[in-house]
Amino acid sequence: MRSSLRFTGVGGQGVLLAGEIMAACKIENGGNGLKTATYTSQVRGGPTVVDITLDDDEIRYPYANEGEIDFMLSVANVSYNQFKSGVKPGGTIVVDPNLVHPTEEDRKKWIIHEIPIITIAKEEVGNVITQSVVALAITNTMTNVLDKQSLINTMLSKVPEKVHAANKKAYELGEKYAKEAMAK
Amino acid sequence: MAREVIGNGNELAAEAAIDAGARFFSGYPITPSSEVMHVASDLLPEVGGKFIQMEDEIAGICAALGASMSGIKSFTATSGPGISLKAEQIGLGFIAEIPLVIVNVMRGGPSTGLPTRVSQADIGQAQYPTHGDYASITLCAGSLTECYTQTVRAFNLAEKYMSPVFILLDETIGHMHGKAVLPDLEEVEASIVHRATFDGAPADYKPYDVPMNKPAVLNPMFKGYKYHITGLHHGHEGFPTEDAIQCEFNIERLVGKINTVAAENDGLDDLPDYEEYMLDDAEVCIIAYGSIGLGAYEAVNKLREQGIKAGMFRPILLWPSPAKRIAQIGAKFKDKIFITELNMGQYSKEIERIIKRNDFTTLLKANGRPIAPAEMVAKVKEMM
Repeated sequence: MRSSLRFTGVGGQGVLLAGEIMAACKIENGGNGLKTATYTSQVRGGPTVVDITLDDDEIRYPYANEGEIDFMLSVANVSYNQFKSGVKPGGTIVVDPNLVHPTEEDRKKWIIHEIPIITIAKEEVGNVITQSVVALAITNTMTNVLDKQSLINTMLSKVPEKVHAANKKAYELGEKYAKEAMAK
Repeated sequence: MAREVIGNGNELAAEAAIDAGARFFSGYPITPSSEVMHVASDLLPEVGGKFIQMEDEIAGICAALGASMSGIKSFTATSGPGISLKAEQIGLGFIAEIPLVIVNVMRGGPSTGLPTRVSQADIGQAQYPTHGDYASITLCAGSLTECYTQTVRAFNLAEKYMSPVFILLDETIGHMHGKAVLPDLEEVEASIVHRATFDGAPADYKPYDVPMNKPAVLNPMFKGYKYHITGLHHGHEGFPTEDAIQCEFNIERLVGKINTVAAENDGLDDLPDYEEYMLDDAEVCIIAYGSIGLGAYEAVNKLREQGIKAGMFRPILLWPSPAKRIAQIGAKFKDKIFITELNMGQYSKEIERIIKRNDFTTLLKANGRPIAPAEMVAKVKEMM
């Protein structure tokens, strides 16, 4: 089974690392995972898209195929509009409602959840950088593609020890908000 | 035996260089190749090597050439604009016969072009990167594993043929992050080639006194052998000459030590010069290289699911090209050849030169975007 996931934002938000963590976790558990990032030559603020492909079998082409993406998470309107067309009809999209504004058309085509990812990181975790871990938790809770504990372990292995507690908290909060959104 | 690692193509190329014996890197950072440099700066000091970030691209290659002249395996990494700046010194590498591995992670050009986006438009530049006559050796990595294995191979070819060698990655391969299955270190170490040395009396040392189609024998410095290395045409001992017979011999040897040897031996070493996938019973042959081969592989699978017998030919040694096999493919597949590349047809021209026909179909792109398997499938269906 192939899972095709997409994170979109703007340069500097940390979405690249979240993608790497997911691919690494799948590989560490005996499968295959690939992450590619497309970004612009603007250092900060350019639209960024990260495609993550996870499969038990071999993966060669590393980008998501147009119209085959199962799940997308977006924290910037410019990237949301540019890259949403890749999501398959009926697929799931999570947006930060303070930053991304889906149209009524979009809401008919896809299952759209609104979770204030950046606010959660900034105000509830207390560190805006943890937004990528909040995003990671939301993604895995909604798609269930990776074992939770194993994903947390991979994530912790890639962040400095002094922020382990904050990132664990970010993961738990992301999971809580995702479950609430799905229950609605 | 094999080992599994997780990384991106640029990181794997740098790790391969160290494992292949490189102990010197000098260069200048440029997107999308900078991670090669980052990893080199981490790893070289750990193994007693030297890393220098130079003031610009030109200095980057000059220091690497100098280190290599002294006998240390050296490399540099850049992208197309950097190769343009390094062009003159690459020529010094060719004429003075200095082994050097040059990693080029290709981005959109010309000039500053599309710095963060994928391209394969430096294929022609790799064949003729500088003025004058010479033959280039160019490898093109088509997977994360090959970013490692082909970089090791580039070092071995550089030492064997005493020449600069290009290892081409593209932005997709350089930055894609995932699993690579690598040969064990013992296996890599057993494959390492060291440049030939002259062990006779220092008075008899004539580094360029070698037969037609053979590389020069440059001893390491500081071992008691005199050296004179110049970009001027030179005689047996390395000192300048304008002797007509010598100059003609020099150029014929520079070209012949690579092109003639490759034609006579069907390649430059015993390693595969191309990958073939499902080609045996295929009715249509997709030709692609580098990251485009990743999509071509999936296109073959999708076409087969739809009842079209497709196969793939993916060259790895781009220059000198695997001409013998390409000619066989030309004869077998006739007009059912589909070439797809991220430029305006730079390798298609080489295929046309070899098969002496242009009845193939192409899918070319030069806007910084990859080519999706679905686009290839649609084009192949039009052909059938």
